[in-house]
Amino acid sequence: MTFDFRIVTIMLAFIAFAVAPAVGAQNRLGNTELNVPATLLAESQQVKAGQSVTLAFLMEPKPTWHGYWENPGDAGIGMSFDWKLPDGVTAGEPKFPVPDTLLISGIMNYVYKGDYAILVNLTLSDSVRPGPLPISVKSEWLSCTDEICVPEQDELSITLQVVAGDPAAAPDKRFDGFRAALPRPLGSEATFAVSDDKFRLSVPLPANVAIDKPYFFIKEDGMVDYGAAQTFSRDGDRLILETGARGDSLDRISGILKIADHTGFLFTATKGEVAMTGLPLAGEGTKTEGNASLLLLALGGALLGGLLLNLMPCVFPILSLKAISLAKAGGDQAEVRRDALAYTAGVVLVATALGAVLLGLRASGAAVGWAFQLQDPRIIFVLLALVIAIGLNLAGLFELPNLNFGNKLTRKDGAAGSFWTGALAAFVATPCTGPFMAAALGATIVLPPIAALVIFAGLGVGLALPFLLIAFVPAIRSRLPKPGPWLDNFRKAMAIPMFLTAIGLIWLLGRQIGTDALGLSLVFLLTVALILWWFGGGQMKGQSRGALTGAAMLAAIIGGIVALPGEEAMSSQKLANTSTATLPSEPFSEARLSELRASGEPVFAYFTADWCITCKANEAAAIQRNETAEVFKAAKVTVLMGDWTRPDPNISRFLEKHGRAGVPLYLYYAPGEEPVVLPQILTVATLTDLVNGSVQSALADRSL
Amino acid sequence: MRNLPPFALAAVAAITLASPLSAAQKIGALAQDFKLTDVNGKTVQLSQFRGKTVVLEWHNPGCPFVSKHYSSGNMQATQKAARDQGAIWLTINSGAKGKQGHMTGSEAKALIARQNIQSTNYLLDARGLVGKAYGARATPHMYIIDGSGILVYQGAIDDRPTADTADIKDARNHVLAALKEIRSGDKVSVAQSRPYGCSVKYAS
Repeated sequence: MTFDFRIVTIMLAFIAFAVAPAVGAQNRLGNTELNVPATLLAESQQVKAGQSVTLAFLMEPKPTWHGYWENPGDAGIGMSFDWKLPDGVTAGEPKFPVPDTLLISGIMNYVYKGDYAILVNLTLSDSVRPGPLPISVKSEWLSCTDEICVPEQDELSITLQVVAGDPAAAPDKRFDGFRAALPRPLGSEATFAVSDDKFRLSVPLPANVAIDKPYFFIKEDGMVDYGAAQTFSRDGDRLILETGARGDSLDRISGILKIADHTGFLFTATKGEVAMTGLPLAGEGTKTEGNASLLLLALGGALLGGLLLNLMPCVFPILSLKAISLAKAGGDQAEVRRDALAYTAGVVLVATALGAVLLGLRASGAAVGWAFQLQDPRIIFVLLALVIAIGLNLAGLFELPNLNFGNKLTRKDGAAGSFWTGALAAFVATPCTGPFMAAALGATIVLPPIAALVIFAGLGVGLALPFLLIAFVPAIRSRLPKPGPWLDNFRKAMAIPMFLTAIGLIWLLGRQIGTDALGLSLVFLLTVALILWWFGGGQMKGQSRGALTGAAMLAAIIGGIVALPGEEAMSSQKLANTSTATLPSEPFSEARLSELRASGEPVFAYFTADWCITCKANEAAAIQRNETAEVFKAAKVTVLMGDWTRPDPNISRFLEKHGRAGVPLYLYYAPGEEPVVLPQILTVATLTDLVNGSVQSALADRSL
Repeated sequence: MRNLPPFALAAVAAITLASPLSAAQKIGALAQDFKLTDVNGKTVQLSQFRGKTVVLEWHNPGCPFVSKHYSSGNMQATQKAARDQGAIWLTINSGAKGKQGHMTGSEAKALIARQNIQSTNYLLDARGLVGKAYGARATPHMYIIDGSGILVYQGAIDDRPTADTADIKDARNHVLAALKEIRSGDKVSVAQSRPYGCSVKYAS
């Protein structure tokens, strides 16, 4: 399930464009046969003198056709713009979205295969008079398929309205999607070096930023061998690239580092020293190399990890009892084997299914890792109910007809029971997978999906391995202790690790939903326990209360899920968790900002992103500091934090309004005054002086 | 010395297999020798022209950027000027069979007659071996090799990367400029430029 909201945005844009009558823009040459037709759009039809407006060249390649990035690569040609603008109007540099690579017979092309939009800012001087503002541009571009190329051109025009007051019409929403596809300025400079026909680049990028098939698109020609493979490695907060060099004539270059589909960072680099250090990363062009050995290695790791999982507190109770009861049924070899195979099937199926869901979420762009299911409190709650039920079962509160961990294995439904036991073990085991599975699971990111699924299945096989050994090697089975009265005590003792797992899950749940909501959740869990107690009581008296118990359990669990706090409360909880540290903040919104401004409160607004190293450095050195927090608290400064880790159109627009293409941006709003834009490098003193200054002026005001 | 050509071709093939286009030739270094068959079935070898300046031109008759220079007569005029100065002009077609611009010997002969192409030889390189050895990426992609076999220019025909014939008039013809500098014993001032045009339609 690949889902990309930008594509949807652009698709919606099409629909909107097809339905709405075209406003102003028209194709003057009347070309209908273009293979990559262009349309000129304006974000706002109205503009005020002294302000700027964003135009878009919406390019819509026909199927199999593509257009080119500003540096087209080995062959091809970029796009040209020949503007005809009224006096007082200037056009800025065109901004291109993150391109794709297209390698044909060793010739590298930097292209756009789907629809794309190039944005240009028009700036009006103060002297522009109100009235119609005709804009026209002659553009040439190259349109190609894999086989042929056609140079195309068009004269595009649009008439805007210069208004005296603020523009009344709402801005064109499609531009949010166009902007989201642009590379975002990284904010820090990279270093490059050329030696021995090798081009090396070192980009500052925090170690925790996830990257998938990175590629470096260089803007300047003659430096890099475009067709050569790019190998990447990560060394702490630096991403290092090595590829073939073609020249050494420039001291300063620029380009885009693509880290995922439609996601990239724009930066410049200056000449310096770059050593090839750090851990290698599979990059584009090295895809097939070493994958087989990587697969084997990862498979081995997964098997071993699965095997070790059997010792985890989440799994050991289930397994050990199952194993001993298998030994008990030792007389019937066929039955034991059938049980073991059913158990293995259950484990492998669940492990693979979890893996498939994980890969699906990854493909849809969600930043999820293994044990992702533990990021959703609803799943934790269900798991918690399950673990508590298993614990109570082990403790002897009730017996289960199907999920028999103990003495009822000789029943005829043993195979189905074993299958579900296996499925349960795999699901319950995931919270314990983390540490030793990290490396093997990391490999699943760079491997093709089928190979990745094989690794998840390998994890399942490893988990089921002890069982298979017991079933198929009679020597092991004969060495297992014979079941006896001691087994009952052992089984009860095994409830302890199960309850330990429950405590772990409660802690996890509490971190996600807060202690208030946790209390309510625990009440529902108590209900679950009581229902099971009542069910167990019935069993002792020989009554069957199965159906009623099932219904009551379902009701209690659904009630618990419904009672969980909503998405919003969770994100604020998450925020509280991250900022408990020092300086608490609220999520940024323009509405909240104007509300605070209206009530005359001082506001500090900062804009950050997880991939922005300057931002993180400033936060560590100046923002998240006790001194700052104390001064801000004393002066009652509200802190607003805008997170631009994923493109947020509202934040993009706000940054643009302040003349910034990217983060960091630090603003201080003293009550009733114009905002102060703080420098990109912050110190504690920069921040505290601001507030102290305003405190002093406030005191001065009062003394007057 | 008679054993050299097969060896040279084997080297070309080996380089080609190792990495498709990274084996581009270097300015100031000895240009890779090669041997190809022309439209008349005649074998032409680069090293046989030692002592003369040789111009290589990559060609694809279906490419609009090539058409720009042939329909305007610019390429033919450049070819004639070069040959009048005693230079050899080899036009090479590396288009693979079934791809745009590929021609058989007879098709190429007809084209030469129709467009009045002035090159010394029109060479067929359907397997793309020579094209890849030279790192030819675009049509037209131009190379100049001096009398001692050294590569002195590689890149575009001129400095106007468009398909518009109107741009030829004011363009700097890099090939004519380089030939003039070679004749007067100067260093080629623009020894490298970015080739523009369609990508060479190699077989793989």
